[in-house]
Amino acid sequence: MSSPRRRLRPVTAAVAGCAIVGLLAVVLGPLSDHRTGATPALVLVVPIVVTALVGGRRAAYAVCVATTLAFSLIIPPVGSIRVGVREDLLALAVFLIVAVSVGTLVAGRIELLHDVDRQRVGLLRSVSHDLRTPLAAIKAASLDLRGDEVSDPAVRAELLDIVIDEADRLDRLVANLLSLGRIEAGFLRPQRQAVDVRELVDVSARRLERLWGEHRLEVDVPVGLPLIDADHALVEQVVVNLLENAVRHSPPGAPVRLEARAVGGGVALAVVDAGRGVDALVRGHLFEPFSSGALAGSSGIGLAICKAVVEAHGGTIAFSDAAGRGARFTATFPRA
Amino acid sequence: MVDDEPALVRVLSIALEARGYGVTVAKTGQAAAEQAAVVEPDLIILDLGLPDVDGIRLCASLRSWYRNPIVVVTADGLQDRKIAALDAGADDYVTKPFSTGELLARIRVGLRHRQTIEAVVDPVTVRVGDLFIDVAAHQVSIGGVEVEMTPKEFRLLTLLARNRGRVLTHGVLLSHVWQGRPGTTQSLRVHVNQLRGKLGGGPARPRLVTEPGVGYRLLEPGVDLDA
Repeated sequence: MSSPRRRLRPVTAAVAGCAIVGLLAVVLGPLSDHRTGATPALVLVVPIVVTALVGGRRAAYAVCVATTLAFSLIIPPVGSIRVGVREDLLALAVFLIVAVSVGTLVAGRIELLHDVDRQRVGLLRSVSHDLRTPLAAIKAASLDLRGDEVSDPAVRAELLDIVIDEADRLDRLVANLLSLGRIEAGFLRPQRQAVDVRELVDVSARRLERLWGEHRLEVDVPVGLPLIDADHALVEQVVVNLLENAVRHSPPGAPVRLEARAVGGGVALAVVDAGRGVDALVRGHLFEPFSSGALAGSSGIGLAICKAVVEAHGGTIAFSDAAGRGARFTATFPRA
Repeated sequence: MVDDEPALVRVLSIALEARGYGVTVAKTGQAAAEQAAVVEPDLIILDLGLPDVDGIRLCASLRSWYRNPIVVVTADGLQDRKIAALDAGADDYVTKPFSTGELLARIRVGLRHRQTIEAVVDPVTVRVGDLFIDVAAHQVSIGGVEVEMTPKEFRLLTLLARNRGRVLTHGVLLSHVWQGRPGTTQSLRVHVNQLRGKLGGGPARPRLVTEPGVGYRLLEPGVDLDA
């Protein structure tokens, strides 16, 4: 509904802006002489600002051209776009530069605000999808359990399992949202301690226990791997997020691999899945919140949190294509 | 059912199968387009949040050849998504989290609507409960009594009655009823209220139901959407 209006508005704004500039030129022309000084020029900047505000960049540029023409009419010889004196030519050039700069700055600012607005809408959409989808399953399952249409005990038990699993999923989501809130508010300070990677992986895998289903987890943590210097709760969230992603994007029965290796001054943890990989479209902003999964309806905040946590520990996180197919996410942490 | 959320798909499949419906699941938009052509389902439940395509675009492309009802499932409470889906050819919508009863009621309305369309032999007359419209003669009778209608009320009632059960958006109603001249949702509301007054109530009477922020629909007597 808003797109045709957006297309119409720059044209309308440009036409209206140029009309106002013409009007100002007619009014200011007879009044201007050397005593009025910079006043006409300053007055002429106003329509540019207004056009940039309502019509955007292109409309502002159109009005810039109109304004420069109008300015040349006002400076002597008045009423002609010819400019007599070299100083006036300079004034005209300076005016054009100022006009275009003002138009660009104002329009740029407005575009930025529109982008923020769009992101907010995207955020709202993905968070509501992520929260409401498990809620929908829980509500539908419990209503069916309350009624008597479903009588098979095995099916009733399955419905109960779904309620529990989806409640767990909601819990993980809320944990992620809270972390994101802390990260964005700047409160994220790791409480570092020496963490054993093997233990960390076991705890994380157990938290996802019910998600595994037909998936297999292959853990490859060499004996004698150095401990890492990290906040246990935060790093656990990273591993859980990466594993959950991997499970979600793997076909049933496919293994999910977790590899740990000592590298340079730290330890690299890699989670590898056999899913369909990552679309070229979203690769560029995989770790930005609320952008990667916009289409999938999943908020994609998990990876954004991983990145924030890893970087708060002074490490790095990267994505690469797994050998064969699928995705490989590698996070590095400093050794203790 | 077109949805990529395994838990929701499983729960709804259990609920639907327990009530005697057969369910075929497509997890992506592409699979949905392919399977719909093969299975020719009586009704499609379409989640707008899909991994590969925009649900609204999928709805429009299904609608280009698929004639049975489409009920969309949305997660955001935003009206513009629902309106876009309805304008893309969806018949009805539910918002997550919904109750199984809500979804089942909409499925029943959709299937019944489909049957009535198939049963139409004489398109110049429409009957919903004890409402009878003779489109050619421009006559409306309710419970056997002829009722006067203004031209706008007549067009509004005929459109709603022909699409009984379906949600018609403000935009659709305005463009059909006001026929090119600009109408507003405010004037639409006034006409709907006048129509409600003329329809009155009663067990055999169709009900004109408001879908807040989205549009209106005419429900056959005895149909309850919150069941």
